[in-house]
Amino acid sequence: MTHILKAINISKTFGTLPVIQNVSMHISSGEVVGFAGQSGAGKSALMMLLTGFLVPDEGKLYFDDQILRWPFNGRTLGIEVIHQHPDLAEDLDVTSNVFLGNELGWPLGNIWFKFPNRRGMAKETVRILSQLGTNFDDPHEIVANLSSEQRQLIAIARVMVKPPRMIIIDNPTLALSYPYQQKLLSLIQTWQQQGIAILISSDNPDHLLAVTDRIIVLRNGQCTNEFRTDDTNREEVVAAMVGTIDHQQLTPILWALDSYYRAREQAEKLSLGQTILEKGIVTGELLDRQFINQLTNQIDALDQVNTALQNAQRRLLGELEQERKGLAREIHDQIIQDLLGVNFRVEEIEAFENLAPAVKNELASLQTRIRQLVDDLRDICGNLRPPTIDSLGVGPALGSFTRDWSKRSRIPVKLNIDPDLGRLPEAIELSIFRIVQEGLNNVQKHSNASLSKVDLLRTMPRTLMLSVSDNGRGITDDFDMTTLSTSGNYGLVGISERVALLGGRLKIQNLTDGGLLLQVEIPHPRLEIPTS
Amino acid sequence: MDGTSEPIMQFDMYSVKRIWEIISKRQGFSVVLLFIIISTFLSLMTDNFLTLGNLSNLARNFSWIAIIAFGQSMVIIIGGIDMSVGATMALAGLITASCMDVEINFPVMIAVLLGLLTGGFVGWINGLMIARAKLPSYIVTLGTMSVVRGIAFSLTGGWPVRDLPESFRFMGQHEIQLGSLSLPVPFLLMLITAFIVGLLLDQMVLGKHIHTIKHGERALLLAGVDVNKATVLVYTLCGLLAAFGGLLMTARVGVAAPTAATGYELDSIAAAVVGGTSLYGGTGSIMGVLVGAAVLQTLRNGLVLLGFPAYGHTVAIGAIILAVILLNYWRRK
Repeated sequence: MTHILKAINISKTFGTLPVIQNVSMHISSGEVVGFAGQSGAGKSALMMLLTGFLVPDEGKLYFDDQILRWPFNGRTLGIEVIHQHPDLAEDLDVTSNVFLGNELGWPLGNIWFKFPNRRGMAKETVRILSQLGTNFDDPHEIVANLSSEQRQLIAIARVMVKPPRMIIIDNPTLALSYPYQQKLLSLIQTWQQQGIAILISSDNPDHLLAVTDRIIVLRNGQCTNEFRTDDTNREEVVAAMVGTIDHQQLTPILWALDSYYRAREQAEKLSLGQTILEKGIVTGELLDRQFINQLTNQIDALDQVNTALQNAQRRLLGELEQERKGLAREIHDQIIQDLLGVNFRVEEIEAFENLAPAVKNELASLQTRIRQLVDDLRDICGNLRPPTIDSLGVGPALGSFTRDWSKRSRIPVKLNIDPDLGRLPEAIELSIFRIVQEGLNNVQKHSNASLSKVDLLRTMPRTLMLSVSDNGRGITDDFDMTTLSTSGNYGLVGISERVALLGGRLKIQNLTDGGLLLQVEIPHPRLEIPTS
Repeated sequence: MDGTSEPIMQFDMYSVKRIWEIISKRQGFSVVLLFIIISTFLSLMTDNFLTLGNLSNLARNFSWIAIIAFGQSMVIIIGGIDMSVGATMALAGLITASCMDVEINFPVMIAVLLGLLTGGFVGWINGLMIARAKLPSYIVTLGTMSVVRGIAFSLTGGWPVRDLPESFRFMGQHEIQLGSLSLPVPFLLMLITAFIVGLLLDQMVLGKHIHTIKHGERALLLAGVDVNKATVLVYTLCGLLAAFGGLLMTARVGVAAPTAATGYELDSIAAAVVGGTSLYGGTGSIMGVLVGAAVLQTLRNGLVLLGFPAYGHTVAIGAIILAVILLNYWRRK
């Protein structure tokens, strides 16, 4: 397979500071390659080098097996770029910016000596922007008056004017709000299907894990790791980004990446404060250092406690499920079989000829009671361990569960499961099942609803969205997730803990037209999450 | 009755405000206004201003100033300045004149072409140094001004070239009869040039990019537009237009002198700036520059008619440039 772009041993130094050291990479058409790294790792510099604006000190770059000479103009090769901070022409309007350098007009051919087709470009701009899920009131608005998000959208729209061969995207989501981030990620998939090669760098490993085929990790300007996205996970990528050798120690940080960064920030602020103090008070120095050391130790200790807790909880949940499975099997294989044996015996007795009618009636009622008992026990087994989940997966298991639940609670359930769901790792399937179980139980207990809905959908190749909603009375305004455990609502605590262990997100909110929505987003369900 | 009179009052207030906005925002309107005021003033104060002969002369004489101001304004729009236009005018005139001399005796068309090429070449060198080497345009063009003027002097040893052929002088001295109106040839040529350059600068994509260079160079670069090429093109066009203006001037005067067109760079800058070309770059139109050049020439004409001494003209031109720059500055604030 030939590579559309191949870089060999690229190095770049700013002054005496090496920003890129011997980086090699390649990408093929229809491939999405991600660059991960902390800010300052050299991602943007590398992107600028690959787009031809920045000239490296050393290294070679091939496009379609043709060697490129810096500085080159990517556009003429069919390379489009979306920058971290869009550089737009401030004095021009939206349309002119979208079509800058790609103006439509008559006669065709030369870019300069033609009369622009202003109306055609404005129409096309409106079309592209609506494709992006946004629309500006006026395609002739001057760009200087727009927000940074709108500018970034214009930069994205620019790429969509003419189908390129390759798109380089440098940390574009900084200026974008959540819905547009998702929109961009889904656009990347569309582009990939069109056979466009895409290079994307991001601070956010989740975005890279969601859309890329490969992830290259940069640290201090060097290429430290390369992962196939399907074979890796968030922990591994972040560990490579942060660059700690001892993976054991890092685990907690990885589970709470944000707080890790916050802690780092705090530590940096503290050390800055320390340097300021150092200049003033010589005697204070020792105290400060002790203080900072103490704080650092505390953070480390907290991290370790956090790991231990997480592991313990995961182990507990695993053991719980195991125990339930065992219990269910025992009830099913032992007690139910025994009861059926008893029932068989009763039937035999019933068949005797010289029995009094009173005894016969008694035996018949005994038989119905035994059958009822068996049914009840089967229900209990089903709740302990859904029988279909091991053989058929979470979809059919949810199907039969919601049917039973509906019958019991007399609340109809609309179940909507992604037809392409497939099988998932055991831990995830069980968690999904338990969350639905708990969610529907809450509906039955608290909501007074007349209808409920369960959706399980893949929103992106590596993200699952599970939502349980009803049309009941919702939650009160003073509801607070953080006080769940103290308020005694252990069902929701259980859900939030399960979600946290899967690295997902939980959202509980009132719907606008009444009712409650419980929504869970689970990342990368293709990957096996360790259960021990 | 009150109900009807009130809206009319409001409408009046609104329209007055609106007119003021238009005047203060768009220099084009204020320039035209200025032109009308000066013309009216001169027609009232002097007997000679509104005569056909004077107006025809005025139109003829501002033609080459307008033509070099077109080039100058393009350069100013991309954020530069060209100090070498006056010297280029002189050199182009001299080269064409020398080529038509008895000794060399090239056909007029070839000589004109050589003169134009000279101007284009000077502009091209300017553009290369400014675009590729990123040197400040003021210094570069000041240097070329000196070099070009020096070449002009050394070409004829400082002597002017006289006895130009009739067919060459035609384009400077004659008039074309259009019905009852007789238009000077240079004025017509200037209008044609304005039309062509106006298409390039105000209508075509090239013009849009030229207007964007000063404040959006990075955006253009990222959009894959060859900004260096555009810059070189603008300076080359400026040199070419300067040469054309120089030829018209030479044809009009009938003599090509190495000292000709001294100080015209300032005149061209003044015409461009008065015509609405911002010295901060990014704005300006050919129509505006044309009117700007007309205003300046009318003023000069008026100063002569009113009997001011010649050195007063320079003071007036300089003062006008400063006034317009100050106006620009206040408007930006």
